[in-house]
Amino acid sequence: MHDTDTLATPTGDLDLDVAGLTRVEGEGSLRLRVRDGVVEEAHLEIFEAPRYFERLVVGRAPDEVIDIVARICGICPVAYQMTAVHAFEAALGVEIDPRTRALRRLLYCGEWIESHALHVYLLHLPDFLGYHSAIELAADHRDEVAAGLALKKAGNEIVGLVGGRAIHPVSVRVGGFSRVFRRSEIAALREPLEHALAIAEATVHLVAGLEPPAFSREARLVALRHPSEYPMNEGRIVSTDGLDIAATAWPTEFRERQVAWSHALQSRGHDERPYLLGPSSRITLAGDRLHPLAATALARTGLADEIRTNPYRSIVARAVELVDAVAEALDIVDRYEPPTDPATAWRAGPGLAAWATEAPRGLIFHSYDLDERGLVEHARIVPPTSQNQAAIEADLAAFAPRVLDRPRAEATHRIEQLIRSYDPCISCATHFLELEVEDVR
Amino acid sequence: MNATVTPGRTARSLSVVESPAENAVDVLVCGSPDRGDDGAAIAAARLLRGLPAGARVRIVGQLDIDDLLAVPPGGAVVIVDAATGVAPGRIVELPLRGFLGAGSETVPRSSHALAMPEVIGVADMVRGHPLAGRIVVVGGRQYGLGRPMSRRVAASIPALAEAVRRAVVALSGREATRDTAAGDPDGPDPATSPATGRIP
Repeated sequence: MHDTDTLATPTGDLDLDVAGLTRVEGEGSLRLRVRDGVVEEAHLEIFEAPRYFERLVVGRAPDEVIDIVARICGICPVAYQMTAVHAFEAALGVEIDPRTRALRRLLYCGEWIESHALHVYLLHLPDFLGYHSAIELAADHRDEVAAGLALKKAGNEIVGLVGGRAIHPVSVRVGGFSRVFRRSEIAALREPLEHALAIAEATVHLVAGLEPPAFSREARLVALRHPSEYPMNEGRIVSTDGLDIAATAWPTEFRERQVAWSHALQSRGHDERPYLLGPSSRITLAGDRLHPLAATALARTGLADEIRTNPYRSIVARAVELVDAVAEALDIVDRYEPPTDPATAWRAGPGLAAWATEAPRGLIFHSYDLDERGLVEHARIVPPTSQNQAAIEADLAAFAPRVLDRPRAEATHRIEQLIRSYDPCISCATHFLELEVEDVR
Repeated sequence: MNATVTPGRTARSLSVVESPAENAVDVLVCGSPDRGDDGAAIAAARLLRGLPAGARVRIVGQLDIDDLLAVPPGGAVVIVDAATGVAPGRIVELPLRGFLGAGSETVPRSSHALAMPEVIGVADMVRGHPLAGRIVVVGGRQYGLGRPMSRRVAASIPALAEAVRRAVVALSGREATRDTAAGDPDGPDPATSPATGRIP
């Protein structure tokens, strides 16, 4: 088999295994089975061993849970912390200071900035510019990569300060934070954020000019929607087909199931339909809530509709969200007033805690049953990537026939690029392939 | 930190301004103490004694490109981590460039967003020259959250600390490598103990 051979046989049959997705947050592979030009199987196989976090938090108090779930991911720990802390506060009736709420949003902005900047510049951009790795990209486009890193660093600085450290932050507590941040500490974020805003706006311009593969489909998109804000810490769950439910009602509309090819549970609607989360969904369903600077940046691209239908355009959605997160972070920094106390006092007790927030790669849902002592009896953590798996597979099935007649290297590249478009957390992936093609000629 | 990133209005106008600081050696300590053998590097860092002036130890947890960009021009780096693909407790030391090369005995199985070789490679490209340095790793066996350090890895911690110290001393005593300097940016090979392997 040579790179110049086409992917499929002349009769349109193909068994394609992309084994060992490396450079990923997790371990997975891809399997495509095509017969007579029709995709019979498109499986994103996740074989990373189960990590049992839902069991690890049983018997733990809410503040312990917040620190434990931050260890689920090195890229989006804030998403896990925010979802858990809001769930506990809602269940226990804890009212937080509006200034604390703003700080939480600032922390989440930091995570979005670092995650999106990493993905746009180092994971996804090489695909569009024809490079096999971020190293090759950096060799030819040093200034652009340096700019992306400066953007990411601005996010790191926010998480490092407000979260207590940049990786696996430790400062979030039920009712607030572990300490009050001085005005001068928060104000120090302004300069890097000002620089980041200029870079983020330039990033939108850069990625809007990239040529994506021609591909269009009408996926069911799902995201949070808030009455007045771009969705992040709270909102109702809405979809492109009219769903509008409370975030706590996630289980009434969606369910997880085991599939043979994945250690991760796979989510679908109760009607079995897959659905897609993430930046493209948020832009589509809540684009009217973007920060004015981000809304302007999006409008200038003229790509709002393509973001909805072409998954390769997610890089544009991500860039627009970079502008949104940086601009909002700047607003919060400028308006910051230290809260009187680091955290609101609260009392442990029983209840059902449930909440959803928007992680960089999509909606994340948590629920916890708290016993009489206020300790976790049962936990359910539904990350965005497990929810996106079925939609990714559906898109792969729809896209694969378009490249069966293409040279193997090109076709494989386009399929990898499609997977990376969703920024799966098994794959904060760059270039992840050892390709094995079994030709059934 | 001597590297100042100064972006202008657009990404293209960004420039990196650096000032030289020769013979500085940053020890970048990776890992997490609550994940079994992943805490080996941090445990070894606590035992570091007698480092030369100009050395600074930073616990970075997860190596980031920014950590490498923060190394002053003319400075060097020693990255310390635990690794799979190496026998538990065995200490392996290799130059940064060796780590980037193909055919290495040490195949990183990274759960980082970017694998360590890519982090190092991108940092080199952005800096505009290869960073002098060494990687010192200890083979690990168990990395689960809440797991204890395995017996063999725990027993190797003093040797790991000594290997790090020797790497720092060797790099600190090297001839300063300028941004445009020719020659071996990784400096002379430090000596190795019987417990220490070395990959060219």
